[in-house]
Amino acid sequence: MKNIFNPNSIALIGASEEKNTVGLGISQNLLKSDKKVFFINPNRKSVLGIDCYNKINDVEESIDLAIIAVPAKVVKNVVLDCVSKKVKGVIIISGGFREIGNQKEEEEIRDILRENDIKMIGPNCLGIISEDINASFSYTTPQRGPVAFLSQSGAIINSVIDRIGFSKIVSYGNEADLELVDFLEYLDKDKETKVIAVYLEGIKDGRRFMDVARKIKKPIVLIKAGRSQIGSVAAGTHTGTLAGNYDVFVSAMRQVGVIVVDSIEELIDSSKALAYLPKLKDGIGIITNGGGLGVLAADYCFQYGIDLPHLNKETLTKLKELKGVSNKINPLDIIGDAMPQRYQIAMEALLSQKNIGGLIVISAPQTMTDHNGNAKIVIEMRKKYPSKPIVCCFHSGDLKDVPNYSDVLRAVRSIKKLYE
Amino acid sequence: MNILSFRETEIILSKYKIPFCRTEIFNSKDKAFLFAQKIGFPVALKVHGQKVFHKSEIGGVKVNIKEDDFDDAWEEIMKNVEGKIIEGILVQEMFYGNEVAIGMNRDDQFGPTIMFGLGGIFIEILKDVSLRVAPINKNEALEMIKEIKGFKILDGARGNKKANINSLVDILVNVSNLSLKEEQIKSIDFNPVIVNESKALVADFRIII
Repeated sequence: MKNIFNPNSIALIGASEEKNTVGLGISQNLLKSDKKVFFINPNRKSVLGIDCYNKINDVEESIDLAIIAVPAKVVKNVVLDCVSKKVKGVIIISGGFREIGNQKEEEEIRDILRENDIKMIGPNCLGIISEDINASFSYTTPQRGPVAFLSQSGAIINSVIDRIGFSKIVSYGNEADLELVDFLEYLDKDKETKVIAVYLEGIKDGRRFMDVARKIKKPIVLIKAGRSQIGSVAAGTHTGTLAGNYDVFVSAMRQVGVIVVDSIEELIDSSKALAYLPKLKDGIGIITNGGGLGVLAADYCFQYGIDLPHLNKETLTKLKELKGVSNKINPLDIIGDAMPQRYQIAMEALLSQKNIGGLIVISAPQTMTDHNGNAKIVIEMRKKYPSKPIVCCFHSGDLKDVPNYSDVLRAVRSIKKLYE
Repeated sequence: MNILSFRETEIILSKYKIPFCRTEIFNSKDKAFLFAQKIGFPVALKVHGQKVFHKSEIGGVKVNIKEDDFDDAWEEIMKNVEGKIIEGILVQEMFYGNEVAIGMNRDDQFGPTIMFGLGGIFIEILKDVSLRVAPINKNEALEMIKEIKGFKILDGARGNKKANINSLVDILVNVSNLSLKEEQIKSIDFNPVIVNESKALVADFRIII
């Protein structure tokens, strides 16, 4: 799989510069990398200023990865060319196989590649994005980061691509050869990846997925579509997989430690927390410059079973320095006129209490609030107490890698994931 | 799709150490009466047959039958199931306690899954159930029991005696073992399983092959 994710040379079969085509999308994305890229298209002399070859066999240099984006009916012939060219890996972007009932041809192509020991992703996919290549027709190339994303849907990839940094993105399509479980195993060993996020509609073999997922050490966060009857019919026509019984699915995932979430937003929120923060032990503390937000956060903590420990004598002594704050409880309201110094005193005091394992810090926009100043304190505290996770609800300010959420509910849900 | 015969059900339950209310099957009212006397009144009468899937709905179940009412109850069930092919009528001891339900189904993607819930309306209307993919061990079975919202009812809420949770754990683990070894069995429905402070017994069984 290394030849697919880190190829030295890439050939795109079906390169194009025609507007609004997949071929153009992939061509443009490939040219952003500094790898050797070859364009294949018998109907064109050049694409985006680069000469085209008629066939992959006409390229003299060796090819690690071939990307196939041609009509379904010619895919098999192109695959045979790739075999004779001795490419090391193949991504088939083209649709028109199992998802429309054309299982036979998909299996023939898979068998040809397997006989020749060539790994294949797809067919019917958006492609992949790795550290130094974008071999997909995504509309943009994402920032690099610690989250790997495996998705049965290409559109979902496009919809989250600018929300967080990614180590690798795989649109795995019909899984004719390489399957979801193969990517899980690969990413578990991948140094760039800290969390694996998954979007799926159906699993090929539930028991095998459980066996593999149980062994994966990195956190897996997953969203499954096709939970309702209507949704599962739609999934059947989308990727040709059986959506199955959702309740059984959730129980099975919980048994093997996979975190199942309800929305795309929660998928990204939790991935962020799990990628950048350590596990949470014990209860948490809440620090806020707005009473209402503190109360809401406390309510949500109760709802999600997160303990808010009482502030002990030592902590209360340290909090005596907070001038003008009378009510010293957890959630701790340091009042609307709180400046960075109050945040510092409050965070230092709460983080040094043994049974407070982490913090939710809220910086609501009051007239005098210095969000950037508060953010600096948060970053300082993350360094000083590396084993205690902090999530924020900041209106603005540069929090670097500290997860920041626009709503306290999102913050509570995300910190909750750090227990699992 | 058939319901497993009583004889085979008895063998399977014993093989996997799943305890059930004392039960025997009869086609003769007189022999049935003698058995009922032996195990002690009141008793339950339930029709059993390969294709009798909804025995309560057709009037094939009567519970808490006293000695004097035995004849009438028998005749009434016989009348209600007239024309149906039956294996016989089960005579069963009455056992009292909280009602729970334990089941097994084979999922297309995950294979055998085990279900636990409180019996009656809790399962049908509130869908208060927990699920696990088999196999499960004792800890997982205990988690399943504690996970349902109605657990407090078993745990001695409102002055009730605490149910014997360990005996439910054993049944769940044994059903899990059974589901992995007896692949011809498509689904299992034990509803109710009755549990009190000393033990749990399966009172109603429907094993589908």
